Amino acid sequence: MPGELAIDLRHVAKTYKGRVHALRGVDMRIHKGEIFGLLGPNGAGKSTLVKILMTVIRPSKCEGTMLGHKVGHKPTLARVGYLPEHHRFPDYLTGAQVVDFYGAMCKVPRRERKAKTGKLLELVGMSEWAKKKLGGYSKGMRQRVGIAQALVNDPELVLLDEPTDGVDPVGRRDIRNILQQMKSDGRTVFLNSHLLSELEMVCDRVAILVQGTVRAQGTIDELTVDKRRYEIELAGLDPKGATERITRVIASLGLGSWDGQEPPAGWKGSSRLASGHAYRVEASTLHVQTAEPSEIQGLIDAFRRESLQIRAIRPFRPSLEDLFMEAVTDPTTGKTLLPGASRDLKGGRR
Amino acid sequence: MITQTLAMLVDAYRELNAKKLFWITMLLSGLVVAVFALVGIDKQGMTFAWFRLGFVPVNTDIVPRDVFYKAMFTNLGIGIWLTWVAAILALISTAGIFPQLITGGAIETVLSKPIGRVRLFLTKYTMGLLFVTLQVAVFTVASFIVIGIRGKTWEFGLFLAIPIVVVFFSYLFCVCALLGLVTRSTIAALLLTGLFWVTLFVLNAGDAALVQFRESTRMVMEDRQSRIDLAERNTARLLRTEREKEGESVEGYEPTREEMVARNPFLQRLYDGLDEDKDDLRALQKWSTFIYSAKTILPKTGETSALLERNLIDPDEITPPENDEEAADMNPTDDVNVDRDELGKRVQEVFRERSVAWVLGTSLAFEAVVLLLSCAIFARRDF
Repeated sequence: MPGELAIDLRHVAKTYKGRVHALRGVDMRIHKGEIFGLLGPNGAGKSTLVKILMTVIRPSKCEGTMLGHKVGHKPTLARVGYLPEHHRFPDYLTGAQVVDFYGAMCKVPRRERKAKTGKLLELVGMSEWAKKKLGGYSKGMRQRVGIAQALVNDPELVLLDEPTDGVDPVGRRDIRNILQQMKSDGRTVFLNSHLLSELEMVCDRVAILVQGTVRAQGTIDELTVDKRRYEIELAGLDPKGATERITRVIASLGLGSWDGQEPPAGWKGSSRLASGHAYRVEASTLHVQTAEPSEIQGLIDAFRRESLQIRAIRPFRPSLEDLFMEAVTDPTTGKTLLPGASRDLKGGRR
Repeated sequence: MITQTLAMLVDAYRELNAKKLFWITMLLSGLVVAVFALVGIDKQGMTFAWFRLGFVPVNTDIVPRDVFYKAMFTNLGIGIWLTWVAAILALISTAGIFPQLITGGAIETVLSKPIGRVRLFLTKYTMGLLFVTLQVAVFTVASFIVIGIRGKTWEFGLFLAIPIVVVFFSYLFCVCALLGLVTRSTIAALLLTGLFWVTLFVLNAGDAALVQFRESTRMVMEDRQSRIDLAERNTARLLRTEREKEGESVEGYEPTREEMVARNPFLQRLYDGLDEDKDDLRALQKWSTFIYSAKTILPKTGETSALLERNLIDPDEITPPENDEEAADMNPTDDVNVDRDELGKRVQEVFRERSVAWVLGTSLAFEAVVLLLSCAIFARRDF
């Protein structure tokens, strides 16, 4: 059901003793049926946010709903699956018993649990270990069983905190497939992870949390639309005169000006095309701030008219890592923000 | 709700099953019952298996066979085994329940389920008590059979041991649960609970000693008073006789205390002794009241476990052996005699006068307060 929200959070704040601000007014919306990724550096407040949703931590302030009910509404948790970070399931239980026990805790009837346990363990590739105690499991195997228990109540919403932690590459691929399967089953998946490449592969939307505040939120396309560019690399140019020659060709098509405006972020020192897009020439490569291929056709024609050889034309979209690094970098100092929650110090703020 | 409770029950069983200590305690309980079964008593005295224990001056003339077995069950089975050894083993087994529950990584998995925190805490608490219930139930059933066969009496009152020992253990377990929540450490919870238990024990021992001293002092006073009465009567008679001899009228004459002391200086010693006794009694009464008040707000482990004896054994059924000379020599009261059997009865009477409502009611009130505090901590804490 597009448009419906699985999680709608407003002004979520959590301040621990000692005035440690883990969350400073988080607003976040997660649509039903999507895979949503929450990323952020250590201590950004990701796990705190998930724990607030799962009633493990009490928020200092929270206005919002989860599956249509106020956050903290216990019965709603019967419709939610959760895999905590650094989970510790009892070693005296077997894989099947873990799934069965947590299913029962979610009020899943016995017969249903019995039917699901085998299927879920098969889904996570743990069928052969179903009757062995967790004491003999590797971390990756525990993680798989953890995912199985998170699905035993047939949840509408699944919150996974670092699900690929300690899992080998094969396991990570399996987990990605499981996530896609969850999505195609119509479940909403809330993913908390450090592994940006993992998130980029599976997430429909992401939010970047830094020092308890959401720095960016949206689809990766939405977040990168202003940062996308085309790179046109030319060949056969004398390196010394390359920049001058390229600039001359561009000027022949007409130039724009900033007219006192600031160039877009990341384009400081750039010039402006007649179309209004920023451009920059570095060695024998032209960078144009646009995501539209039609915007560079005139430039390609002009280069060819001037008998310049085009070695490559590359559309460039920043990766999630680029977005992340930008979010955790202080725009004024250019330095990476300190990890961890922010704390009031002598009336100031770190 | 039932699904969750059943799941936690099964989980508690699996956890206990995984702990070797549970089965070790069960095995030891079995051994204790086996030892009971091997102890015998007849007119000649006591036996153990095939051996006659000639040095134990107990036979069926002194203690009837059924009372002997019931006393053995309450004094050794309950008084030592269940309320000391098995209770310590049970505490060791259950002290980790709450620290393990709130360990990072474990607590999230249960708190994130549709179950209230208070209910989760109380269910876990109840599961801990089930450990002891199971132990006591097995021990009591086995003892019931042994007493039935060996003592020729089928005493259903024995089953009172189950709730009594569970209630006794719950006093300690609630403290252990609270400490486990606060310290998050099994060892710390265990050691501090042990310290609490020792404090209760010391308080109980102090209470018993003070009651004994107080009753002993009362008896000394009663004895001294009767001596004073006798001495006063004799001295007054002597004074009257002397007065008659001197030709004075004795009609309506009542000698004053000073006259009697002047005639019989020994009386002054008795008066002084009585005054000292009164001072002692006042001091003992003051301390006794203080200890009693302290005990009122604390759980009464000793009195609770003694409830079973109150119900099972009538003290009149036991014929006390004659006091021997050695015992008389050991009498601490120098010039005044205290009947040790009478003293024992009076002390027992004092403890028996403490109502079941006071013993259980105030102890359970303490437990309720501790549990409320624990629930509040558990319900409000961020994990």
